[in-house]
Amino acid sequence: MKKQYAMVVEADRCLGCHACQVACKFENDIALGTSRVHTYTMGPVGEFPKLSMYFLTVQCQQCEEPACTEVCPTGACFKSEEDGVVRIDPDSCIGCQSCLKACPFRANNFNREMRIADKCTICDQLREAGETPACVKNCPGGALHYGDILDPESEAGKLLAANEGYVYTLKDDGGNRPSGRFILKNEQWIDMLPFEFEEALREGRYDG
Amino acid sequence: MSETNTVITEYLDKIGIAGLKDAINNRRYLSGCEPEIIEVKDEEHIVHTACRTCIANCGVIAHVRNGQVVKLEGDPVDPMSKGRMCGKGLSGINALYHPNRNKYPLVRVGERGGGRWKRVTWDEALDTVAGMLMEIYHKYGAEYVFGSTGGGGNPEVWSACRFCNIFGTPNWFEPGSAQCYLPRVLAAAMMYGGMDTSIADSNCLEFFDEENCPVRSLVLWGTDPSYSCTASGGRMVNELRQRGVKTVVVDPRLTPDAAKADVWLPLRPETDVALQMAWIRYILVNRLYDEEFVLHWTNLPYLVDCESRFIVHPADPKTSALVWDRKTASARVMDYPWNEDYDVELFGTHEIDGKLYKTGAQLLLERVDEYTLEKAGEICWLDPADIERAIRIYAENTPGSVCLGVATDQNINSEQSAMAANILDFLMGNVEKPGVAMQRFRISGVLKSPNYPVPVALKCLPEEQFLKRLGGREHKGLSIWYGGHAASILKAILTGEPYQPRMWIDRSGNKFGVLAEVGKWAEACEKLDYIVHMFTYPTSMTAYADVVLPCEEWLETEMVVETCNTLVARQQVVHLWETRDETVIWSNIAKRCGEMGHEMCRKSFDPEFMGEDLAYWDSMEEFFDQITPAQNMTWKEMCAKAPFEYLTKEEWKTYYVYKEPMEDGRPQGFNTPSRKLEVYCDGYIKLGRTGEPFMPYPMPPADRDYEPLPYYAEPTESPVRDDEISREFPLVMTNGRLPMFHHSTLRNIPGLRELMPVPEVWICPADAEKYGIVPGGWTWIESARGKIRAKAYVTKGIRPGCVYMERFWTPETLNTKTHGWQEMNVNVLTRSEAPFNDVVGTHVLRGFQVKVYPADGAPEGVRTEPQQFRSWLTVGRS
Repeated sequence: MKKQYAMVVEADRCLGCHACQVACKFENDIALGTSRVHTYTMGPVGEFPKLSMYFLTVQCQQCEEPACTEVCPTGACFKSEEDGVVRIDPDSCIGCQSCLKACPFRANNFNREMRIADKCTICDQLREAGETPACVKNCPGGALHYGDILDPESEAGKLLAANEGYVYTLKDDGGNRPSGRFILKNEQWIDMLPFEFEEALREGRYDG
Repeated sequence: MSETNTVITEYLDKIGIAGLKDAINNRRYLSGCEPEIIEVKDEEHIVHTACRTCIANCGVIAHVRNGQVVKLEGDPVDPMSKGRMCGKGLSGINALYHPNRNKYPLVRVGERGGGRWKRVTWDEALDTVAGMLMEIYHKYGAEYVFGSTGGGGNPEVWSACRFCNIFGTPNWFEPGSAQCYLPRVLAAAMMYGGMDTSIADSNCLEFFDEENCPVRSLVLWGTDPSYSCTASGGRMVNELRQRGVKTVVVDPRLTPDAAKADVWLPLRPETDVALQMAWIRYILVNRLYDEEFVLHWTNLPYLVDCESRFIVHPADPKTSALVWDRKTASARVMDYPWNEDYDVELFGTHEIDGKLYKTGAQLLLERVDEYTLEKAGEICWLDPADIERAIRIYAENTPGSVCLGVATDQNINSEQSAMAANILDFLMGNVEKPGVAMQRFRISGVLKSPNYPVPVALKCLPEEQFLKRLGGREHKGLSIWYGGHAASILKAILTGEPYQPRMWIDRSGNKFGVLAEVGKWAEACEKLDYIVHMFTYPTSMTAYADVVLPCEEWLETEMVVETCNTLVARQQVVHLWETRDETVIWSNIAKRCGEMGHEMCRKSFDPEFMGEDLAYWDSMEEFFDQITPAQNMTWKEMCAKAPFEYLTKEEWKTYYVYKEPMEDGRPQGFNTPSRKLEVYCDGYIKLGRTGEPFMPYPMPPADRDYEPLPYYAEPTESPVRDDEISREFPLVMTNGRLPMFHHSTLRNIPGLRELMPVPEVWICPADAEKYGIVPGGWTWIESARGKIRAKAYVTKGIRPGCVYMERFWTPETLNTKTHGWQEMNVNVLTRSEAPFNDVVGTHVLRGFQVKVYPADGAPEGVRTEPQQFRSWLTVGRS
């Protein structure tokens, strides 16, 4: 049966603490100024003091139709048949950064030290050893989950079923069909790419 | 990773070429470069320890490979963090292997602040420090030395206090204390005799059993667990919210907890007591309180002599008080705990034999009477309807608790706010029942002193020395932590009144980042003969120091940690350089002073003389072996066994302790003089007059009696005072935690600093426009005491008329004329002058006036981009 591993994020639980980013940094030896995971602050919006704000933690969306693999000139960036995870083979990556530019979610990362692209594998090395991805393991809010979203018996599948009606995917204008899932019950989903929203809000350009 | 690759990687780590490690691991063609290959056995083991990046002590599993800590992760057996770990804690590896660690004892060469140091041995350093101490001791007296600790990164707090008591100086302080937590600890001790309700100080233990806890409402008053204690308290509150617990958040800033609350009350900073009074009034007037509990278990029905202001106790306060019996229309003696045949009146005023008496409840009602919802709305800048909704959530959803945070500890209303918060929980009967914060659960018995095991040895401080405590007479509440008053010490140095301290011995999380009005402290340093500074890495204090002693990072320190029903051993995972645990350093200094002729320092090593205060120790093991026998084991045995449950959850949780019978069959009540919850707390009057029950010797009375009931004082600098200050500085400044820093620590950790390279000043869009501030633009923030810069974060998440900033200093400019504390440090702006809180002497860290205006750019030399933090990376990491 086809599998699609991806992150499932309970946005209502996310505390915006960036522990996931630090945990990933140490586990995967990520260079300064770059990250495989970002926590975006979705707000505050509304009229003071009736404000809405939630946090959105975004890793690679393990897309069904990933643009990053399409544009890779060497085939280093590929979607794995067995679990649907998008991976980059460091041996064949030439560091052209095409995949970074192609990813609409800004999820791919450029390793400045190695000068190759780098991305979330949902911690392959830990999962192979029977352990939990570093961000999921340490998340203080218990917001981060992962699993085969196509398998209704998986933890991820059960979580999605239990929250039917409150499950969102990132805005997908380019037809990448992201597999990452976000559960948001307590706030109104802002249907913008989170980095575009955050930048617009911070720079005073958002009028929502 | 293969064994060969590990060896190559470690070799590359040593030669320090960043990034080559990944190359070897991932790129086959590079592994043919044949570096030196050494045959070693690849050894990896794990250590169960506890974090100490902040004060939450979360359980940690440390992975050690070939002698090097390579990975940290949360320990699932920890009952508070449950296997989670925040970014601050995870960065412990970077802190441990930081290239700028203080590695050896150093003695200054040349001018103070010149940045030139000589490495010396520990023996030489201790000789030097003890020599300085003994010189001041002989020339002026022990009180001319003052000690300090705190500011973040300390394994425990009592060592500085203990040393000062033994050396004979009453002048010890911690920059937190009256500005952090002490007001709440004091109010809980005075009025209840049990645990306070601070989540960030690892209390509220009942709530951590989220599956079984019946709590229905939480009021997070001036606290943001999601930021201050993310993995423990933040995680717990988050779980409870997910389980349907209703929350109210009182905070001028939209924190994550505020955003997730049912009601957010963004009050004007430091007007909390006015709001609390309105809550109390509303609950009394609308009879929302638990009448049965209030009558039986608080002292509110007791008659107060209006002239003396003391409650009338015809005999022993523990057994009798006077109440008004409606049945006989007379004042009658109530025998503890209760006379069933009385019809006890709660609110009433009576004249008996020509003297006026009122019940405690009557006095409380009169005290809060003017604080209607409308009045509170006006003072606090809130909508009265929102206040009412918040009160209803709390009062209609019991069990619940008011969890008071640090915010109210940072202005002159500190003690009153802690008192008022207690009163709310008392009125609602939210005490010692399932689902509330105030509890007296059982403890392991290992920790004899509050929170930390080092005994303070108060008996070593002679009475005549005790009476010389600077600020001690006026602010007697500080004596619950046996401490002095930082602002009074500062004033004494600058003015020489009543005497001029000469030497500062400090264990610091950069005092220049956390003390108020630090410009004055820099001035004070110039007047001091000697300054000794101990810490894990250089701070601004280093620039003023004559001797620097290297402290251990938390992965090197050891401590007994009691977390719910579990004992955790913080263990020395590895040890680097010549660092020592501060708990041993203070002991080392005392030993040298003893050898140089200090009698009490010599006696402090005598087990017979010290008794329960424990003889000083030469090692941590020697210290712990004196306390772990409470659990029938040695420290080594505890390290091997921990973490372990010292009681089962069921044995540990003891609800309704006050109902447990004494020998005579009556319930034991609470740990207060009357055994009741002392809402009308005349103990405060007594404290102010004599120092009872905390001072070992009576001290002359404070200038003014402390109040037995809370009162609201408008902050000294305030936008509603139409004065020069408010006209020139129109905005109210407040502070509060961020998730990537703790107190003054961690600004040198690349993976955290890159998340917040420079401080942000939060300002609402309307105020930003008014003052010409652009989003992300460099901005001046100026108070009557100085000016600093920060980047503007224009957001609706801060109340209009207010700005917010978190503390900041810059390790990268330590060796410049600013010493890292002058550029972006909100404590340049804070206020160290009187008036202070009467009871505990709190100075003003939040709730003072500033103005903002655009700046041309960043301060010189300040690092603003992630790549600039590379020099602070652990060697071998990219």
